[in-house]
Amino acid sequence: MAEEQKEAKPKKRMTATKAAASIGPMVKEFITGTLQAKAEGKQKVAYTFIVCHHEEIFRALDVMPVWTENFAGICGAKRDAERFLQRAESLGLSRSLCTYALCGIGFDQWREELGGMPPDAPWGGQVRPDFMISSGQILCDPRSKWYQASQQFMPDVPIYNIDLPYPLFQRNQDHRDVWSYYHQYIVKQLRGLVAFIEEQTKKKMDYDRLRELVNLSDRTWNLIDETYKLRRAVPCPMGTGDAMNTMVPINFMMATQKAYDFFVDLKKELEEKIVRGEGEVENEKYRLMWGGGLPAWYALSDFNYFNSKGASFPVETTYRMVAPLHDMDLPETKDPIEHLAWRWLGYWTFWFDKARKRPGSEPDVERLINWIEEYKIDGVVMHEAFSCRTWHVGLIWQLHQLAKIYKPIPVHVIGKDGKKEKVFKELPSLILESDIIDITSYSEVDTRNKIDAFVGALESIRANRAA
Amino acid sequence: MSLKQSGAFSTVETYYNDYGQRAKELNREGKKVIGYVCSFVPLEIITASGAIPFRVRGSIHEPITRGDTLLETIVCPYYRSCFDLSVKEKYAFLSGMVIPHGCDSMVRSFSAWSYGLPLSYFHFVNIPSVCEESSLEFFGSELNTFRKSLEKFTGKAITEENLDQAIRVHNENRDKVRALYEFRKTDPPLISGTELTMTLTAGSSLPVEESNSLFDQALTEVKGRGNSPLKKGPRILIDGACLDNIELIQLVEELGGNVVTDTICNGTRDHFPKADADGNPIDALAHRYLDKINCPKTYRSNKAGTFEGDIENRFGDIGTYAREFNVDGAILYVYKYCDPFGFEVPARKVYYQSLNVPLLHLEDIYSAGTMGQLRTRIQAFLEMIG
Repeated sequence: MAEEQKEAKPKKRMTATKAAASIGPMVKEFITGTLQAKAEGKQKVAYTFIVCHHEEIFRALDVMPVWTENFAGICGAKRDAERFLQRAESLGLSRSLCTYALCGIGFDQWREELGGMPPDAPWGGQVRPDFMISSGQILCDPRSKWYQASQQFMPDVPIYNIDLPYPLFQRNQDHRDVWSYYHQYIVKQLRGLVAFIEEQTKKKMDYDRLRELVNLSDRTWNLIDETYKLRRAVPCPMGTGDAMNTMVPINFMMATQKAYDFFVDLKKELEEKIVRGEGEVENEKYRLMWGGGLPAWYALSDFNYFNSKGASFPVETTYRMVAPLHDMDLPETKDPIEHLAWRWLGYWTFWFDKARKRPGSEPDVERLINWIEEYKIDGVVMHEAFSCRTWHVGLIWQLHQLAKIYKPIPVHVIGKDGKKEKVFKELPSLILESDIIDITSYSEVDTRNKIDAFVGALESIRANRAA
Repeated sequence: MSLKQSGAFSTVETYYNDYGQRAKELNREGKKVIGYVCSFVPLEIITASGAIPFRVRGSIHEPITRGDTLLETIVCPYYRSCFDLSVKEKYAFLSGMVIPHGCDSMVRSFSAWSYGLPLSYFHFVNIPSVCEESSLEFFGSELNTFRKSLEKFTGKAITEENLDQAIRVHNENRDKVRALYEFRKTDPPLISGTELTMTLTAGSSLPVEESNSLFDQALTEVKGRGNSPLKKGPRILIDGACLDNIELIQLVEELGGNVVTDTICNGTRDHFPKADADGNPIDALAHRYLDKINCPKTYRSNKAGTFEGDIENRFGDIGTYAREFNVDGAILYVYKYCDPFGFEVPARKVYYQSLNVPLLHLEDIYSAGTMGQLRTRIQAFLEMIG
């Protein structure tokens, strides 16, 4: 077992905003916080996953979440995941499975075997949890399998698996016809979670506190939406490279004042940059959308490489796990648990109505189309991470559907004055291939060659249009 | 491929080799044939609607071509093959298609399926990830939504009586499969694993009544054999997902093993659990498909509080079959990119150790091209346990 194998330290990615630059220490702080909480024994710590709309319940019951996907991402970003992946493989787990999970299971097995942290564990390591909250969703199989696999090595740590379905988009079915029974089920699941955590912590839920935290999250959601919409400005003041940092307060710090304050500051910073006409890149030539896929955490400096070619990323579909609540038309309720369930359904069905109106569309495609127009996008970049089906299956098909609209030939449309106009809508796309944390799947040379060729295509399209 | 069979097994071979032949005829006669993938699709509701459920199959001999232009190669290779054959219009006789939440590959490719195939009916059935009172209630509602959508498509109401009748006839089918498995208990077995898998695969392409009739003929023929046509050899259990091509099983049997039981989808997983025939039929179906189908996709909570108790709860059916069929060894056959099965490999290994059943774990890509490599490993395994 190559336990000593560590890759060279990655080059630090340059950020465009002060806010994004402040994230690293923040993450380190909450990893350290989990270790400290466990050592002091005053607060329960629990493994869990992002995008479950349960942070408010955790925080209201004073449970400290340990975001296991985050820790795997840190191992990846520090180019120190390989030794944990190899350990998972030695247990019989295939490298083709979710590498976040493999990294986590490999780490857990090693820590349990040693009775302490593996040597030189990134940022002090991942703490042994008091319990684990997994999540069977329509979203991701490994979420209900990962902790079950880890439990083999720590059988005394209980798991509660919360089921959070949402209706899949079906063209011939209005999701509102079914969502009342979805809502009832999710409410029961969330109440089950409350009961489980109450039992684990020996605390009773304070529903007034929960209501306040839900309200704080709601306000944060709307603030994030307003903040990210500022990136429509030309030049774009903040790109996807930075958003891979600012995803931290969205996904790991929701239901905290700190997350809200972070976006107050970021919004102010972006507004000031817009006034000064300051973009992510000095001379913005191309505006790209990160249209799908989790990033290669060990190669975030590729965003800087795009920037060096004059390409900025005003918008990304990845990790923007919020939507404006005022546009959701959610049923009113004073019960915070019921509201969480409605918000869950509102988020996942957010694009359904729009998609139903456009032939050939579906929610993921509809979001791409809307943002291409709103953010004045010149091209789409996606990342295909081999180990994750959740976020990476369907991307090719989405590009197929986009290509039906954004054709490589000029199209004639009726303009505002009722006259025919010749419009160029061609939108090139690029799919990068590697993995979220498995660096062995990545080639910097190949990736950058692909980026060069893609930028070449953008240039030639622009030249053709001008001709 | 020809097994030089006669009688029932000749019919089986015809349906297996020209898969969908009968469904095509029925479609020409104006019958609605509804394709499905995965054990989670409630067949009784399709049968009750007057339509014919048809299990979409892949082919390990057909290179994936068109499918790869629409779907990522990180999808389960079995499922990719099913998709590839479908978009190449191998199943053009289908009137519609039902896909359940069986795994991420199914969920995330639903749009590619529903837009990639020119079918007038498509439906997604959401399957809960946990098995408890609230999830059974939810699943019952989801089954009623499926029922309504089929009613709209077929223009025919699905009554409780229709459902009761469909449950009865599908349960009969399962009884017949169970009876076929009984013939595997002798040493050597009276029916080979190759014959059995071929029979069940052929059956999943037929209306359930015709499948019942075919199974009856197979039962009569096997019963009439008196002596086994097979030689004694290590008795093997195959553990894994869907194995709708016989080559792996045939390989084991060519090398001197006898495949006597399995946990595979088109084996015991699909065919052993029965729906309760009394009471509310939707409740009975919810219970059968969520609780009784033992798929790793469904999270089963660790009620024992110990790892040993947990694996006994999750994999107890393996132990039951291993004892019932007097198994000498097992092959855990897992497709690359299969998260639900893949994450269980370490725990399954421990479970087999607890049973004292030697295990060969194979990861494969659903392709005839890998059979050579598998041959070497299986041969070594059989020699070791034989």
